[in-house]
Amino acid sequence: MGEQNILKVNPLPTLTWNHLMLNFANMPLEAASSKKADIPSEFKDIETGMGREFVSFVESHASYVRIIRAGKGEDLGVIKDEKAGIASEIILIEAGEDSRVTFYTHASDSVQDGQITRLVKVIAGPRAQVTVIQSQTVGNGCLVGDDFGAVVGDEAKVRLIQSELGGKAAFAGGCAALKGYKADFTEETIYFGDESRRLDFSYVTRHTGKKTTTSILANGALFGNADKVYRGSMDFIHGCSKSKGREAENVLLFSPTARNRSIPLILCDEEDVDGQHAASIGKINKDLMYYLQSRGLTENQARQLAVESRFNPVIDEIPDEAVREEIHASLERRMNLD
Amino acid sequence: MAEERPEIQGVNQSIYDFRYETHASFETDAGLTPEIVEQISKEKNDPDWMREFRLKSLEIYQKTAVPNWGPPLDGLNMDQIITYVRPNTTMRGKWSEVPDDIKNTFERLGIPDAEQKSLAGVGAQYDSEVVYHNVKDEVARQGVVYTDMESALRGPYADLVKEKFMHLVPPTDHKFAALHGAVWSGGSFVYVPAGVHVDIPLQSYFRLNAAGAGQFEHTLIIVEPGAYLHFIEGCSAPKYNVANLHAGCVELYVGKGARLRYSTIENWSKNMYNLNTKRALVEDDGIMEWVSGSFGSHISYLYPMTILQGNDSHMDFTGITFAGKTQALDTGAKVVHNGRNTSSHISTKSISKDGGVCVYRSEVIIGKDAVGAKSSVNCDSLMLDSKSRSDTIPAMDVRNADSDVGHEAKIGRISDEAIFYLMSRGLSEEDARAMIVSGFAEPVAKELPLEYAVEMNNLIKLEMDGSTF
Amino acid sequence: MSEELLRVENLHADVEEKEILKGINLVVNKGETHVLMGPNGAGKSTLDNCIMGNPEYKVTEGKIFFKGEDITKQKADARARKGIFMSFQAPQEVPGVTMEDFLRVCKKNLTGENIRYFAFHKELAATMKALDMDDSYASRYLNVGFSGGEKKKAEIVQMLTLNPTFAMLDETDSGLDVDAVRVVSEGIRRFKTDENSLLIITHNTKILEDLKVDFVHVLYDGRIIKTGGPELVDYINTNGFAELIKEGE
Repeated sequence: MGEQNILKVNPLPTLTWNHLMLNFANMPLEAASSKKADIPSEFKDIETGMGREFVSFVESHASYVRIIRAGKGEDLGVIKDEKAGIASEIILIEAGEDSRVTFYTHASDSVQDGQITRLVKVIAGPRAQVTVIQSQTVGNGCLVGDDFGAVVGDEAKVRLIQSELGGKAAFAGGCAALKGYKADFTEETIYFGDESRRLDFSYVTRHTGKKTTTSILANGALFGNADKVYRGSMDFIHGCSKSKGREAENVLLFSPTARNRSIPLILCDEEDVDGQHAASIGKINKDLMYYLQSRGLTENQARQLAVESRFNPVIDEIPDEAVREEIHASLERRMNLD
Repeated sequence: MAEERPEIQGVNQSIYDFRYETHASFETDAGLTPEIVEQISKEKNDPDWMREFRLKSLEIYQKTAVPNWGPPLDGLNMDQIITYVRPNTTMRGKWSEVPDDIKNTFERLGIPDAEQKSLAGVGAQYDSEVVYHNVKDEVARQGVVYTDMESALRGPYADLVKEKFMHLVPPTDHKFAALHGAVWSGGSFVYVPAGVHVDIPLQSYFRLNAAGAGQFEHTLIIVEPGAYLHFIEGCSAPKYNVANLHAGCVELYVGKGARLRYSTIENWSKNMYNLNTKRALVEDDGIMEWVSGSFGSHISYLYPMTILQGNDSHMDFTGITFAGKTQALDTGAKVVHNGRNTSSHISTKSISKDGGVCVYRSEVIIGKDAVGAKSSVNCDSLMLDSKSRSDTIPAMDVRNADSDVGHEAKIGRISDEAIFYLMSRGLSEEDARAMIVSGFAEPVAKELPLEYAVEMNNLIKLEMDGSTF
Repeated sequence: MSEELLRVENLHADVEEKEILKGINLVVNKGETHVLMGPNGAGKSTLDNCIMGNPEYKVTEGKIFFKGEDITKQKADARARKGIFMSFQAPQEVPGVTMEDFLRVCKKNLTGENIRYFAFHKELAATMKALDMDDSYASRYLNVGFSGGEKKKAEIVQMLTLNPTFAMLDETDSGLDVDAVRVVSEGIRRFKTDENSLLIITHNTKILEDLKVDFVHVLYDGRIIKTGGPELVDYINTNGFAELIKEGE
């Protein structure tokens, strides 16, 4: 067993009342001895959602560093993380002009305990299209940290999907620096909390280019004693005229002992922007429950259907049939409360 | 629409930019020490418990750090704030008895005039002291008490005051609440007996006249079960080039089935640090309504808080904040749902212009036992130019599955299409913009008494250069 | 000789850096009613917007004269004050400003006279009644939550209230049911005198039935390819634009 470190992760881009405990999260990580990973300089200063402390922890513990480079016009298709499930990894993706790449990693419930820290950094050149999928259904003894940072160039499109469905605690974050003209970032998160899982998220979009666009969407369901924090921040920086951002979080609460905290931020010092966020937190729509039950579904089945209908659009993006099935099976098992 | 629209001289800053030389009878040293607090207490003839309360608050103040969030408070040096300035007068019940220089100030602000016309009672505070309090006979006959806090401490309601004073906002709440506990002075006490419906609003007017001074008035309002009150608060100060501090405290107790509407138009001058704390406790079936307009001050931290303690209690918050040049106005609301089937609605608008900074900050907490709670938040921010800034920082903490919490926020500018549409009807570009901004503020204006609404509109037009309509 | 009101000379205009109008020439005299027809994307609305002075539409060449004055570079409000009006296909919603307050401010602004509150209220209510529009709309926020049909009617209410000398109606009839088209058409007929002129963009000839149409122009690909009398409306109704386009090419 290594020494335990308490890291400040998922920092809010601006501070608010300390008593809310939302300004950052404390993440306990076990330090192991490992040599400092060699990170090419172009990837060094990319801001991530989980923040500096997490990045420097992963950089000094990573047992696996992979660099993926897509040349001009190249289409690398779907790249699967062959080391998925190891303790600590760093994936660096550089997508050249007009290139395409999809990277996906999934840690399954064969991982029962320990900790997994995964960091992906992306540099997307002009018109590049990059998709990153981080998914996990690990067992209830495992601690997860999924972090992401991207720099998005002219007319490039970067997409991040995070599916956090298991673990003792899962911390996840993403940050996109929209530097290019018409740079676009889409982020979708699904999360599932049950037993005493702790979930903690932070997403930040930094708009500096003109006509940049972002969409951040989270769907979650909380059961048991789950405790979740979600931070979603759009930062419109002076000069990012005609940029647009949309952010939404929908949370379904199923347990009187679950706790949900959400803080959607808009920071803005540019006049010519259009930003909107919305959050909806609460119990499942009664009319929907009634409708489904009138068709013969039990309350439990109706609940499952409601949750899966929100999760499926994201699960469907995972480019691996077996993993999709595993996720469905895992959700079904966990929601089967009858 | 608001049911009563009394006429009250309003909020146009230009009419506040006069000041009379006043001769203060007593000034403390600039810094803050136990000796000063003792001195204040002695001067005010405090009961013993209050003297101890002040000293304890001072201790807390000295141990508490300034907030690490929010707009910068660097310009505020407490060691240079003259915490206590008492005008050269004692409290009057007749306007004619108020000394001329102070009377002139309030007459220019239209206070006695408004009282005659349309208010149930008026209190006026000049710097640290209440200089005038009056309540109409018919209202007094209903058993309504409206008096200054110092009198309340010794009057027939002394025990009630002792029980409630800084009970909702304890000195440990934050540094400036502690400061308030130590040096508070003036303010109003209102008591509305059970079942009494006060048909016309009570108004309190705060005027800070001395340069570099602080105002720390305490407002305590108790609305007993089934009663109704509309309380209006206006604040202003002339311009000085040194910082002034306002750290008032408002505590509102809304009894079972009672309803309290608390309206504020704040137009402190732009050297003011407005660090005010307002809090309401609402019992079963009670209703708390806030209408809040923030136009003045250099820096504001203002988040009226409502604790929905009783079952089926309700809170409504309607606010507007307009930050112009040199202003950073951090405003919003807080609500804690504790009772079952409680509901809250927060609707805010903010406008940033000429380098002004608006921050909307809020927290909505749904407690464990607040089964059936509903909360909705709506905030719209308008950016009028690219020099300005607007942030939205809403927090939600839900600890109960049987609840429904919604939040929506929008930020943007006035669209070119909307301006063209209005210009195609003959309005100049400036008028078109001003009209759209007035329209944006209308949901707040319509909650205000007519004269306040008119003045608020004038204030907006004044801020919108070149508008003529 | 009739008195010239509007003259458009060799008008070229871009929208988002794409040339939409490619040399329009048009003269509208006092008292005349002109109809502008043409397939979607021909540039009809662009022409209206250029005449009204929408800054999103960039005039790259040519000139617009109104009552003999070159208004090509004038802002929309200056043109409105000279008597030009445009009814919008999709009018903007203006929250917080009631239709009545808005129109009163506009009227005062256009006429320079003080508007008497009560008289104006009565006049507006009468205008709305004539258009079969509930007068409660007057106290609603301008266009906010109005249905498509109500928005169109509200535009005509504005036209009748502000009484311009030259009004452009951009597909005022679309989205209206048969009864509403008749009511709006009647409103337009009431507006029309020998002293003012109309330029109507429409696909629906129902709205023209009560009106005396003087000229019909067919716009295609940024140019007027055919001008004729009212008989052209019937021709297009029967044959569509295809033949005319072929002829034009």
